[in-house]
Amino acid sequence: MSGLDGIGVKVIDAGGDGSARAVLREIETLLTVLVEKGEEGSIDLSSLPLTPEAYDLLEETLGEGEVTAEVSSLGVTRVHETGIPGVWWVTHYNEDDDVMAEFIEVTHCPEILLTPEDDVKDGLEALRARLFEENMNKSSVE
Amino acid sequence: MTFMDLLLWARGPALVGAVAIFVFGMVLRLFEIYSLGRKPDLAPPRSGGPGSGWRTLWARSIPSKPFFKVSMLTYIAGYTFHLGFFVVLLLLAPHIMLIRSVTGLHWPNLPTPLIDLVAVITLLALIVTLVNRIMDPVKRFLSGVGDYVAWTVTFLPLLTGYMSYHHLLLDYTLMLAIHIMSVELLLIVFPFTKLTHMMSLFISRWFNGDWFARRGVAS
Amino acid sequence: MQDETLLDILKKRGVSRRAFLKFCAAATSLMALPPTMASAVAEALAKAKRPSVIWLSFQECTGCTESLTRSFSPTLESLIFDAISLDYHETLQAAAGTAAEAARETAMKENWGKYLLLVDGSVSTRGGGYYSTVAGKTNLETLKEAAAGAAAVVCIGTCSSFGGIPYAKPNPTGAVPVSDIVKDKPVIHVPGCPPIPAVITGVLVQYLTFGTIPDLDELGRPRSYYGDTIHDRCYRRPYYDQGKFAKSFDDEGARNGWCLFELGCKGPTTHNVCATTKWNQGTSFPIQSGHGCLGCSEPNFWDNGSFYQALSTPIDSVAAAAATAAVVGVAAGVGVGIANHHAKAKAKAEHETVTVNDLEK
Repeated sequence: MSGLDGIGVKVIDAGGDGSARAVLREIETLLTVLVEKGEEGSIDLSSLPLTPEAYDLLEETLGEGEVTAEVSSLGVTRVHETGIPGVWWVTHYNEDDDVMAEFIEVTHCPEILLTPEDDVKDGLEALRARLFEENMNKSSVE
Repeated sequence: MTFMDLLLWARGPALVGAVAIFVFGMVLRLFEIYSLGRKPDLAPPRSGGPGSGWRTLWARSIPSKPFFKVSMLTYIAGYTFHLGFFVVLLLLAPHIMLIRSVTGLHWPNLPTPLIDLVAVITLLALIVTLVNRIMDPVKRFLSGVGDYVAWTVTFLPLLTGYMSYHHLLLDYTLMLAIHIMSVELLLIVFPFTKLTHMMSLFISRWFNGDWFARRGVAS
Repeated sequence: MQDETLLDILKKRGVSRRAFLKFCAAATSLMALPPTMASAVAEALAKAKRPSVIWLSFQECTGCTESLTRSFSPTLESLIFDAISLDYHETLQAAAGTAAEAARETAMKENWGKYLLLVDGSVSTRGGGYYSTVAGKTNLETLKEAAAGAAAVVCIGTCSSFGGIPYAKPNPTGAVPVSDIVKDKPVIHVPGCPPIPAVITGVLVQYLTFGTIPDLDELGRPRSYYGDTIHDRCYRRPYYDQGKFAKSFDDEGARNGWCLFELGCKGPTTHNVCATTKWNQGTSFPIQSGHGCLGCSEPNFWDNGSFYQALSTPIDSVAAAAATAAVVGVAAGVGVGIANHHAKAKAKAEHETVTVNDLEK
């Protein structure tokens, strides 16, 4: 039971949209760069003084896209492509589910989804080891 | 000495000193002027009652057509900056806070962006009056050091206030300190320059109106 | 152990490369660097060596350490603290007494010229500094000794940065900030009472990542965190611009969440990131909770006038001075008036009537 409800606090819209419109303009600029030069860009949302209304406006304008992904490493990272292809929303959570950092990434695919080069090599080795083990097991059964 | 120390000095001892000099100076000047007195007028008044002085207060404040045609710029720029100055001084929230904390009196404030616009217009009007003063041969001839000092100390509080609100050039804390000190400068030189007209203007106007009425040309 | 890179340490803890990438993205955000720097941060961190850190506590309340340790979300900050070698911290270390002092001396000797010195609390100087001692040594002595071998000094909190509470009037212990004692080493100020934990770690991460001192303002504070005022980034700023103010802590304006300027908020003159980074994992900050900013990251915040007095109002009593001045003015005015009348009367008395006859002479 929290006594907070008893406190007469009203939240009234300060007017304006916080920084949402500025962020949307920046996304437009970054997207233009991606289209014309192929350079990727991103915006650090956690460093901006965004009000809940600004967040809503941002989410509303960008919409939902086709891809949703979840990366489990050092807590969860939720990635989804917005309704604007090439604009991704990346939220890093820690193990307590608090937001560690939040980015808008303007890219063909966010880096966190790509398998790192070294991991591919490690993977190949791991697979070979597993196949070798299986072969050994088979031959020992025969 | 940090910027904050300067701001504290400006808000503390410097303000007290400046207000003391201002009040002392104004009281002294007014006493000096009005204690000189006039010779009693022994002739019976020709017309008008006490109303003429009060009517002149208003009549002289409205520019007459022929004068307005000749010196339109002086009238428009003059009125603009005087009104603008008082709007900024009396209707900006932080200023009302200051007046309230000293006198206990307070009134509603205007939105800051509006004050901001008025400040810009006021600054422009002041610049126009200065340029006009320098370009116009008659005005230039009539102007002395005191006139330029009066212009400068009026201009500075507006400029520094505008700059501190917009965080221009200097750190806000320092700019605010400079702004307050520029007002203190204005207060200090006020009683000893032509700026004293703020107090003497309407009294003189009333006196002239009353005097003229006694002479038979009531307004 | 000292030659291990940060990436080696993280790998040992089973941190994958994706996790490392995530760590770097968060670290970049923490350092308030542009997100495009993340790959540069990753590259630098992969090569970063484990620096030795010595933390000295002087005249302080341990609030700064509390701020840092209580805030631990068990990932980012703890990883950073695993990455540094915290060789001495009175409150956090297990060792006590002579063993603790021995640990400090060993760490100093082994890393002479390379370790990072963190200080919270101001330094007592009166009578040689005997008001605050640890293990029989004055703080003054310990600081001089430890600073001599440090690569840089980071002042955690307002007390070590600007003197803080012990430095407040009448300053009975003769407290001074660290920068009054340490003149020949780079000194970074991370003020705040306490500082935001993310800012403390951000400065450490920058040192860890690039081995450099961040860009500092004229008061020695990293510009990336102390570049803007609270007022600049306050979500209540639109109300200030509209001229809507709370006039008391329980009026309609306060309930509507209007600007707290008139209630003495020091946001316009206070440089910090509370308004964006916020406290308690980004939950809130004082203004959001309905109280004006105290200005705790500025020098002498304790003596900068009342916390509840608006910034535009006078500190001393103007009315009394004005009344006195008016009385003196009246007296002087009467004096001048009398003198003028005398002058007038005298002129009148000395006036000689000139007749036509006189002129004809």
